[in-house]
Amino acid sequence: MPRTFLRALVALTLIGASFGCSEDNPSTVTDEFGRCADFEPLRQVFWGDTHIHTELSLDANMQGTRTTQDDAYAFVRGEPIALQPYSEDGTPTRMAAIDRPLDFVMLSDHAEFLGTLKVCNDPSSPGYDARQCVNYRAAQQFAASPQEVSDTFVELNAFTAAEPQRARYPELCGTGGEYCLEAGMDIWRQVVSDAEAAYDRSGACKLTTFPGYEWSGAPRVKNLHRNVMFKNEKVTALPYNYFDEPYAEGLWASLREECVDAGTGCDVLTIPHNSNLSEGIYFENEMANGEPFTSEYVEARNAMEPVIEIYQHKGASECLPGAATADELCGFEVIPFSNLATTNLEQITPPDPKGFLRYAYGEGMRFEGSLGTNPFQYGITAATDTHISAPGFVAEDDFKGHGGAGQPNRFLPPPPGFPDIEYLSPGGLTAVWAEENARDAIFSAIRRKETFGTSGPRMTVRMFGGWDYPTNLCNAADLVAQADAAGVPMGGTLEPQPALSAPVFVVSAMQDPTSAPLQRIQIVKGWLDGDAYQVQVFEIDGDANNGASVDLATCARQGEGSGDLCGVWQDPDFDPGQRAYYYARVLENPSCRWTTWQCSTAEYDCADWDYAGCVERKDDFPPSDYTCDCCDPAAGLNQAFCDGISCADLGSLSDAEERCCHQVEPTIQERAWSSPIWYQPPN
Amino acid sequence: MLRSLVHFFLIGGLLFGSKAVCERSRIEGPSITIRVAADATDADVETAVRESILLNEARRYHWDRTDPIVYTHLIRNMRFIEPDTEDDDLTLFERAVAMNMQAHDPIVRARLLHRAREALAFVPEDRMPSSAELEEHRRTHGDRFEREGRVRFQHVFLSRSRRGAALAAHAREMRARLTALGDSPPAGLGDPLPGLRPEQSATPSDLQDTYGLELAGVVEEAVVGPWRGPVSSVYGLHFVKVIDTEPAYVPLLDVIGAEVRADRLREIRKELRQERMAALREAYRIQIERAP
Repeated sequence: MPRTFLRALVALTLIGASFGCSEDNPSTVTDEFGRCADFEPLRQVFWGDTHIHTELSLDANMQGTRTTQDDAYAFVRGEPIALQPYSEDGTPTRMAAIDRPLDFVMLSDHAEFLGTLKVCNDPSSPGYDARQCVNYRAAQQFAASPQEVSDTFVELNAFTAAEPQRARYPELCGTGGEYCLEAGMDIWRQVVSDAEAAYDRSGACKLTTFPGYEWSGAPRVKNLHRNVMFKNEKVTALPYNYFDEPYAEGLWASLREECVDAGTGCDVLTIPHNSNLSEGIYFENEMANGEPFTSEYVEARNAMEPVIEIYQHKGASECLPGAATADELCGFEVIPFSNLATTNLEQITPPDPKGFLRYAYGEGMRFEGSLGTNPFQYGITAATDTHISAPGFVAEDDFKGHGGAGQPNRFLPPPPGFPDIEYLSPGGLTAVWAEENARDAIFSAIRRKETFGTSGPRMTVRMFGGWDYPTNLCNAADLVAQADAAGVPMGGTLEPQPALSAPVFVVSAMQDPTSAPLQRIQIVKGWLDGDAYQVQVFEIDGDANNGASVDLATCARQGEGSGDLCGVWQDPDFDPGQRAYYYARVLENPSCRWTTWQCSTAEYDCADWDYAGCVERKDDFPPSDYTCDCCDPAAGLNQAFCDGISCADLGSLSDAEERCCHQVEPTIQERAWSSPIWYQPPN
Repeated sequence: MLRSLVHFFLIGGLLFGSKAVCERSRIEGPSITIRVAADATDADVETAVRESILLNEARRYHWDRTDPIVYTHLIRNMRFIEPDTEDDDLTLFERAVAMNMQAHDPIVRARLLHRAREALAFVPEDRMPSSAELEEHRRTHGDRFEREGRVRFQHVFLSRSRRGAALAAHAREMRARLTALGDSPPAGLGDPLPGLRPEQSATPSDLQDTYGLELAGVVEEAVVGPWRGPVSSVYGLHFVKVIDTEPAYVPLLDVIGAEVRADRLREIRKELRQERMAALREAYRIQIERAP
């Protein structure tokens, strides 16, 4: 019944739908390639965020976010934004502003509840008086308790955690979900219109916007979320969500049918994220019918998902310490949770190595051998996943919290301690190499994977792979022209060159002028050795032992680093018969993590710390304070308490002692990850 | 949309209608007395007047009795006061209204003000901006839509990390070589840096974000012709030669129509709020009482 209604609704809507019509978009200039004043055929770097939530997302909305998509666009341009908690008269108690504007942005509110929120807030809607709406509005009231908010949120959000075959709209949406479908289409139309209004169509090309949303399927709370990114204002009538299309294959099929193959100029891609919270199922070899992948499935997946989000507020998905390979840098922002529920409930659970990108890259090469196509040949992006309408707000020294899924900072007074749980982080940015800052160029760059992600700082990385680059290429002022002419950029694939010995890679990088200097460039090589995949990390420029450090009391950085680095590296162990991938990882000198930043300016004394008391007061408001937060061993700063504690037998430890075994690092090395360059041997 | 329309007709349409009736029949408009603190400033008084009018309007149209959020909230209040009651919701609501709870509750007050302000800002079809109005808006508010001026320049870079202690000497040599170049481009000179181009068009703010204040400042001075530098950044030393400048400009409406429309609509909403508020103020008879 719901599917029948859905199809009928889409058909009816398509007859009359014309997004970006003249009423909403008085601009008549076409978006031609090459229209920007700054056009560079050899491409330039642009910075963006493709994962942002505003008041239109149920979780953000219930957590107190009142800022709109319009506000989020203003924030991207550098205007300050209001943050919860709000006082009784509606005055925000916090503000935030980005230090530099972004070049491009895609807002990605959860599609599942776009219509739900409208239905529940519109007295003329037939679903307005449904029990779930009554509860929702009660939870929105100023006096609602955290428990009431949490209960209401969980009841509604649980619909996204149903098994795919049971996925359906909440009852408030009507028997076929019709109330929410219609309302969701209204909101979606507004989303597209707002993106149009914010897109700079002048030659200045200051800001590029993409209409989009998040498909938020998470069967049994195992995260399979994907952000859906349209190239322009030509979009599908419906923002397809988990209730409409409960399998990723269905989502891709609908997008292909109604967008890519529709002949309207529509184009779209999906960006997977947080595979780290999927309990290892994100890259499972299983299609919707339960059968193993077919080559048709892999091609469909490949066509729709060129890139993956490697890092955001809810942790990094690059690699897991100790999993299959020795890489001491895999510990970066690995959150100790395995799925969405354990994250929201702060229940420590070991992440599954199969949810990490290293596993996917290895498996992908194996599939390529058997199916002829690699389903996981992902380029790299990073994002924030902000739920407070603050795109690109990645500053470690000014973290305001993730702000989704019922975290307590909706409630007054504002938290005097950490604004969110210590395991979350400020997230990262996506950079693309494109000819100009316009939709066609940015979208094409993402599709061809000429992208890299960073953990926040705007450190610029360029990588090329070829067969006969000179060893002194880093000295050439025209490095890019030479490398581009004789090789492939990040995201590309090297074709076999039997006459030559081994591929050569050149990686150049420059620091973010407002952040720490660079420490080193690495190349991570993965290859398929028979049926087993291997990984090795190579240092190609800089100095891992440069002595750089951080004063934890003040967060002042100490020691020298580099403003720019460049290295040419030839694979010393290349086997032309083995599939392989190579990606660059660029590291800054150490700097304070956000938790340490906050504690460096707070007043607290761990002599007064009482873990049991802090736990007891956890649900009080204010929920915590700096003594509780900074002395909590999990924050990584209370080494006096943790000294001598062995994590070998967790069962023998007290709750407080066990927190020593799940510490965040007090300092981090911010980093960039390039999209890999792949090598495919001859058949 | 429908809700906003209803609000508009209630608060705007009915008000204007009743005002006209009042004028014709010389019936006076609503009269309210507002009590403020003895030391209230003019701004405090103005805020109190505006809020009192809006609240009175909301109550005149019985939103304090019909708004679902107010309804839910008053019932919650009553169940808090009478935890053992077995009365149904409607009975409790009626008892709350009988107690005049809605008149004093801060949540009800905030909700009613929110609805009233939302109604004040509703944009009717006949106020939607035409193309001519958008063009006028673009022309008269050029500062809002202005694009920053650009500078086309050539750029040579010497890396501090690559050249180390020799950087200053190399900079002196480079300065001499560049001066000797005349109008020839600096092909092949200097070190590479990701994103650095031998010639590019950029705004000073772009350059500041990428290379820092000092380099942006030199380029922004836009002295066309000579090589300038060395200019320091976190990366090393830079030489720049400005080729051309493009002044700031306001794009045509054809290009930025959607942006202009969104901006104008924000303004119209503000105008409507002010117009309707002014009309309400004219219709009301206000008496201010200062607390002793």
